[in-house]
Amino acid sequence: MESRKYTLRIQRNQKQDDGSVASEWQEFTVEGGETTTILTLLESVKGDQDGSLTFRQSCRSAICGSCAMRIGDRTRLACKTHIGAVVDEDGVVSISPQRNQPVLKDLVIDIDPFFKKIKEIKPYLLEGEEADTKVGASAYEQVNNVTQCIMCGSCYSDCTMSEVSENYLGPAALAKAFRFVSDPREGKKTARLYNLSKDDGMWSCVRCVQCVATCPKDVKPMEAIVKLRTRGIDKGFIDGVGQRHALAFHEDITKSGDLNEFTLLSRSVGIMGSVAELGVAMHLLKKGKIPSPFPHKAEGIQEVRAMYQDLEANPLDVETKAAEVEPE
Amino acid sequence: MSLEFAYYPGCAAKQVQKEAASSAEAVAKILGITLKPMPRATCCGAVSLRESKPAFSLAVAARILSEAEAMGHDLCTICNTCLQTLNYANYRFKNEPEILEQINGVLKKAGVRPYEATIKVHHLLWVVTEQVDPKLLQSKIVKPLNGMNVAPFYGCHSQRPAEIFDARKGEKVDQLDQLIRAIGGNAVAYDGKDKCCGFHVMLSDKNEMRTMVGQNCLDAKDSGAEIMISPCTLCDMAMGAYQGPAEKVIGKSIDLPEMNFAQLLGIALGVDDATLGMGRLHVDPAPALKKRNI
Repeated sequence: MESRKYTLRIQRNQKQDDGSVASEWQEFTVEGGETTTILTLLESVKGDQDGSLTFRQSCRSAICGSCAMRIGDRTRLACKTHIGAVVDEDGVVSISPQRNQPVLKDLVIDIDPFFKKIKEIKPYLLEGEEADTKVGASAYEQVNNVTQCIMCGSCYSDCTMSEVSENYLGPAALAKAFRFVSDPREGKKTARLYNLSKDDGMWSCVRCVQCVATCPKDVKPMEAIVKLRTRGIDKGFIDGVGQRHALAFHEDITKSGDLNEFTLLSRSVGIMGSVAELGVAMHLLKKGKIPSPFPHKAEGIQEVRAMYQDLEANPLDVETKAAEVEPE
Repeated sequence: MSLEFAYYPGCAAKQVQKEAASSAEAVAKILGITLKPMPRATCCGAVSLRESKPAFSLAVAARILSEAEAMGHDLCTICNTCLQTLNYANYRFKNEPEILEQINGVLKKAGVRPYEATIKVHHLLWVVTEQVDPKLLQSKIVKPLNGMNVAPFYGCHSQRPAEIFDARKGEKVDQLDQLIRAIGGNAVAYDGKDKCCGFHVMLSDKNEMRTMVGQNCLDAKDSGAEIMISPCTLCDMAMGAYQGPAEKVIGKSIDLPEMNFAQLLGIALGVDDATLGMGRLHVDPAPALKKRNI
């Protein structure tokens, strides 16, 4: 393997007496091949250049989840990331701690907020009347991806909703919740869905798909969240803005074809909610941005109604099923 | 090469964001792209329909894709969420033959032509940057941007998940950057460019949505942006029309003109302001344009 020089641009963080964190960027020149891992290079910096550089690490095999940090444009495991895959044309890559949690020192964060949310969803099987003692061969198809989670926190670090909301459960906790909702042995599936339907739960995901792109273990948290929502609606937990909004779509599509954006608001947030939104409505009105109450009607709309009625009478299971995952 | 597409603007472009549609249609005409109307097409249902009625959402998508296929064209849209929804369904139809067969069974019973999974779903931005001859584009520019700093805001649903977007890698999206450079601007690099506009939680998580808008806009502005563009009518609505409400939540003034990519391209191609719907933008771009003699 050909060796060359790379530059690690590392964010150094130091807690001050007043509790604030002082940050500065420091550059280190290191040598390695294209497939040398970031973790190996960080160790060489610590061993040969600056012993005070602080980061977490343990297994070196993408199993323990300790070394998740921002590398380049997203959060990655340092032990799994090849330098050649993340540097710019000048051979430079920026490395900083995970986002959305307090920084302790250099690349180390306080992971308590993340685990507090994992605990909040009760990450273990609960006894109850819905527990099945038989587990069929197909039971694993739904949870195959989510059971791969190693709790590294990468998804939480890159989650665009967690960035603006302290209370949102976050992708990993919701994926974990889906793992239990989908387990035949779980005794309280319905109660779990009820709890997840509350504020700051599954309906607060903005569906940016960043967690799916970031996850180093192909957990696909957002896919699990979409399925949780379907299961919650099927159980009748539809008393929320997100749920009512989702349910408005098939009404409109079977009625005229296009969304009726004019009535979508009142159907999603209710009359009182609409009054609360009045300020924004006036703001939009200034630029002619209030939709017509009579949307365009698509040709052949009776076909769409026929498809809908057919599927209501003869439900079709189209959920994605995960194939066996090959060991890495 | 003939550039003809079945044109699927999406609900927002037919109503609140109609300036995106009139701009897209105008620039397409100048660049020799034919956008043919789809009279039978309904709303794509977005992820919302996938959540409430998963099988029906695939049937709705298949019916839309089938109409384009019957016209003999790939489909072209100007909304990221339509792009993602239709590409997601198309990806499944192409990779899960049994799902396609089941959904086609529903289509046939309802008298709809079955979908044969032969077409692709494009964004007009991709067509402009990847299929239009760059020389043709250059020859049509009458008002170059004169080095204006433009922030590209990609929007989630044109990037992720990467596998459904037919050989486009999520980390390497740079079509807006390419377009900005092609029309004489400078593409601003900033942290928020591939983040979320919050549109899909606009009603359920109001403050969080407005904070997203505020932070992304401020981030772009702090990085030197004079204008922001997006390829998505929903991002336009969030980053443009909701910038005012966002200012109230974050307690800071932003004042960053935001517009659809087709509007800025239209300016460079000399399309008139009325067609481009310049009067419908919440932050007037005129001062920023004037500063660059555009």
